[in-house]
Amino acid sequence: MTQLVLGQVLNGAIIGAMYGIIALGITLTFGITGIVNFALGEFMMIGAYATYALAERAHLPYAVAVVPACFISAAAGYLSNKAFFRFTRNNLVNGLLVSIGLISIFESAALLLWTATPLEMSYVLPGAIRLGDVGLPKMKLVVFGVIVVVIVGTYVALARTWLGRAAFAYAQNPEAAQLMGVHTPRLETAVMLYSTGLAGLGGALYASLYSLEPAMGGVYVLKGMEAAILGGIGSLMGSLWGGVILGIIEAVGSIFLPTAFRDAYGLAVLVAILLFRPSGLFGSE
Amino acid sequence: MTIVRCLLLMFAVVALGVASVGAQDVVKLGQIEAQTGPNAIYGWMSSQGTALAVDEVNKAGGFSVGGKAYKLQLIALDTRGEPKEATVQLKRLIEIDKVKYVFGPFLSNVFLAVRPYAVEFNGKILMWGGATRIHDYIGTPDHDFLMRTWNWDTGPNGFGELMVDQLVKAGVKKIALLYQNDQGGKVMEDIYVAMFKKKGIEARLDYFEPGTKDFSTVLAKIATWKPDYLFPGYADSYIYDIVRQATEAGQLKKFFLVRGSLGPGLKNKDALDEYVVYVPKYFEEAEKKDPKVQKFIASYKAFYKRDFPYDQAPLCSSSCYDHVYMLVEAMKKAGTVDDPAAVKKQLMSMTYDGLWKIRFDEKGEAVFNFDVVRLRKGGAIEVTTVNPK
Repeated sequence: MTQLVLGQVLNGAIIGAMYGIIALGITLTFGITGIVNFALGEFMMIGAYATYALAERAHLPYAVAVVPACFISAAAGYLSNKAFFRFTRNNLVNGLLVSIGLISIFESAALLLWTATPLEMSYVLPGAIRLGDVGLPKMKLVVFGVIVVVIVGTYVALARTWLGRAAFAYAQNPEAAQLMGVHTPRLETAVMLYSTGLAGLGGALYASLYSLEPAMGGVYVLKGMEAAILGGIGSLMGSLWGGVILGIIEAVGSIFLPTAFRDAYGLAVLVAILLFRPSGLFGSE
Repeated sequence: MTIVRCLLLMFAVVALGVASVGAQDVVKLGQIEAQTGPNAIYGWMSSQGTALAVDEVNKAGGFSVGGKAYKLQLIALDTRGEPKEATVQLKRLIEIDKVKYVFGPFLSNVFLAVRPYAVEFNGKILMWGGATRIHDYIGTPDHDFLMRTWNWDTGPNGFGELMVDQLVKAGVKKIALLYQNDQGGKVMEDIYVAMFKKKGIEARLDYFEPGTKDFSTVLAKIATWKPDYLFPGYADSYIYDIVRQATEAGQLKKFFLVRGSLGPGLKNKDALDEYVVYVPKYFEEAEKKDPKVQKFIASYKAFYKRDFPYDQAPLCSSSCYDHVYMLVEAMKKAGTVDDPAAVKKQLMSMTYDGLWKIRFDEKGEAVFNFDVVRLRKGGAIEVTTVNPK
């Protein structure tokens, strides 16, 4: 049993890191620009299908295909921001409505282009590493490593660079930031590009592990939202920790309780934590 | 005057020609199958094979019933496995297109959704689909419109029972069942949990949420129970992920399937030990010796101008290519295209020798020959053909 629990703690952490990358996108967009983008899962889907197309149809090596896939996803994010999201700043309802519309448009487009039949990529890095009785697929470990590097890198970049400080200033008081020389429209665009590009990266990594379906984004944006709230909206490292904790709760909960209700376990713990810490585990009051 | 007569004569000739084309009436066939979607494996091939057979019949000049020439018109709608969508589509087929012969559905959730509406047309339509849940209604009052085009799992001719018997002979003691928490999964539970118990095999059932992609936790949980085989769900969209994750982590390496294709096994052939699957026909082997199969494959390639889908083709055993020809034969014998009850009567007494040798039992459920394919590590394949009595 100990081996099983230990194995699932590790596995849950890896799956949770995938939630974390979406949570990071949510926390960046909302925390800095005040824009609610519930359609991030769709940008993840775009990244996943773009990776599939580039790797399986255009026969690019997977590692090469990931880069343009992120750019394609970011480009879709840029267009969505210019057309819709920039008008929804600090307006939760409008952001939600725009997101719902975009989810519908992107999913329908994916259905037309790829049909709803699941697609599976060739295995990028098959095999597993064994730790006693626990087998961890190599590709999952790579995905975990990439996500941790990206999240920590984002944190460091925001904490140590002028752009990062400008972003925090913008989050606190956009007018004051503008008076201090921050080009706020450009900053807003940059945040949107980065967060949708991140979602595209999440999709590209997802494609190396699981089969693809147009509706895949819906599940992940919910998990990302849960992770972001659990970690505390606005906390970058909180998004990673929120995702990891959520992944572990789901994985370990499924050992002792029926797996058919796996999603409920994370939600139950989230509600319990929010009762005591309404701003999340790492969020400021 | 002569010119006017000539024009009148020409008009008469053209009018006669038009009348003779019009005399070749059309029999409309409706189809409600999932051509796309996570469960498209149950529907896509049926839609492909039906369209091919309809084209062949029409290109051969159609068929004659009661001295009148007919051609077929197929109205194939993609349900995507969505019950609500299928209900609207069936309504359109019956009420707007005036279809009397409905091919499908293959999915139980779709059948259960359309059934209450279809019952209203009992005696006026013939619906023949492969859905497992059709078994519960076939032969019951108000369901004369139903025929089931797929083998049933249990009983002396049941493919599932015959396959489980093979496990019993091989000395299997424990089997883990991993199904999706939906209508299809419940059907499988109803059939197989009781069957394993009856045969003395200890069974353990776990459900997963539809939409799940990561099965590592439930697979690890199952692995601690040390089953001899894993019996995963019924849809390839999940089976691909399950087989990959189970073999990649080295947790479970033997699989037993009564639904789903050989594809997930072949993709992971180097990592698994054994993959036993019910395949209505193993086309790769059948192509070598059966001229009908060779002709079907050649026709498919010519019609669709693409490679033959060997992995999907076995699912053409339900409401597909053979069934179009069976229906035409039955209409000829019944001497009518407008009376589904009379056509059904002919179908019930028929044994059709096509890609499969198909007959119907007293309730209207298909009985046909099938293959059991055993894939071993590295890709070695052993095929056992079963001819039910």
